[in-house]
Amino acid sequence: MVSLARYIRNIRRTGIKQWWHQMQYIGDAKAGTLVGADQFGNRYFENLSPEDEVPGRHRWVDFAQHYNNATQVPPEWHSWLQHIRHLPPTEDAVMKESSPPWKAPWVENLTGTRGAYRPYNTVVPKIIAWQPKVMVRG
Amino acid sequence: MSLAILRAPPKRLLSVARAAALRPALAVQASRLVHTSGSAHSPEPIPTSSISPTEPITSLAIRGSNQHSLETPSNKAEYVLSTLDKIVNWGRQGSMWPMTFGLACCAVEMMHMAAARYDQDRLGVVFRASPRQSDIMIVAGTLTNKMAPALRKVYDQMPEPRWVISMGSCANGGGYYHYSYAVVRGCDRIVPVDIYVPGCPPTAEALLYGMLQLQRKMRRNRKSTLWSVFYHSPRPRYSMFRRYRK
Repeated sequence: MVSLARYIRNIRRTGIKQWWHQMQYIGDAKAGTLVGADQFGNRYFENLSPEDEVPGRHRWVDFAQHYNNATQVPPEWHSWLQHIRHLPPTEDAVMKESSPPWKAPWVENLTGTRGAYRPYNTVVPKIIAWQPKVMVRG
Repeated sequence: MSLAILRAPPKRLLSVARAAALRPALAVQASRLVHTSGSAHSPEPIPTSSISPTEPITSLAIRGSNQHSLETPSNKAEYVLSTLDKIVNWGRQGSMWPMTFGLACCAVEMMHMAAARYDQDRLGVVFRASPRQSDIMIVAGTLTNKMAPALRKVYDQMPEPRWVISMGSCANGGGYYHYSYAVVRGCDRIVPVDIYVPGCPPTAEALLYGMLQLQRKMRRNRKSTLWSVFYHSPRPRYSMFRRYRK
């Protein structure tokens, strides 16, 4: 349960530095076991103790990037984080053995950057930009 | 960037630019030469993925963009100005006040974004029922012909800077009612749209993610940096008139 005692207990468990980091990014003092990290450096935690965490908040991710969003979580860890699979991908037998060879590397959403997805277009553009042309003067 | 000119404008460059401005055909090219920032176009292709902890894909994907020039100032003046820009951007993205323009069922999802589960207030997003005190308009739902003048009026009442989020298929492009004679085929025919949130209706999560994308867009604003480029460029500002003076 959320309480002041839990908050202080978690600060004592994680340390001041980690507490400050969590308050900047997660907004709560959380302490749990480090389950693993993905290829991007995001770290995944779990705390199943009912005294510490409300059910539903017992798995969380500590993002590696400052500007983080949910698409930075790769699908393997997403399935663990959202309880689609019980075990994390480091332990899940199916996940470990059946990674298809055609699987592309995970890329987060790049909308709004130069890496954004541009669909292939065959249609004549509806808008033709004005090209300044100056007449040659005599 | 051309801000290097701030420190010591070389006389020769000035006269060259001025002479170039007098010849209208060459003026554009010459001013581009002066203003080449080196980051306007990135010739090398952007890598499609990265697992490097120091260079994530987001830092690679902004190569040559406005965001990149904000984060890598090339001299002291640009450092100061881009820092000012960053402060402004930080302030803007931390308190986005959307004008609610709930038109149809999308508005229900918009309300869910404000409710306890998705809790928009943790991002500083607060619904403001007055266009004069809001900076974002969320067009949620089918925009009919009858509502279109009202939408435009509300948009015009909003102070600058303002952004528009088009929420759902109907606002994006007419959606289900695309062929109806009574419906505007997309609210971007009435107001300029910044973020399109797809879905019918989009989930509250999707709309909140759209708000995050709008934050990303706000983050690349560099108005004060551009202001200094505009006012300190060697290019004559009224070259149109100067051309005919002599």
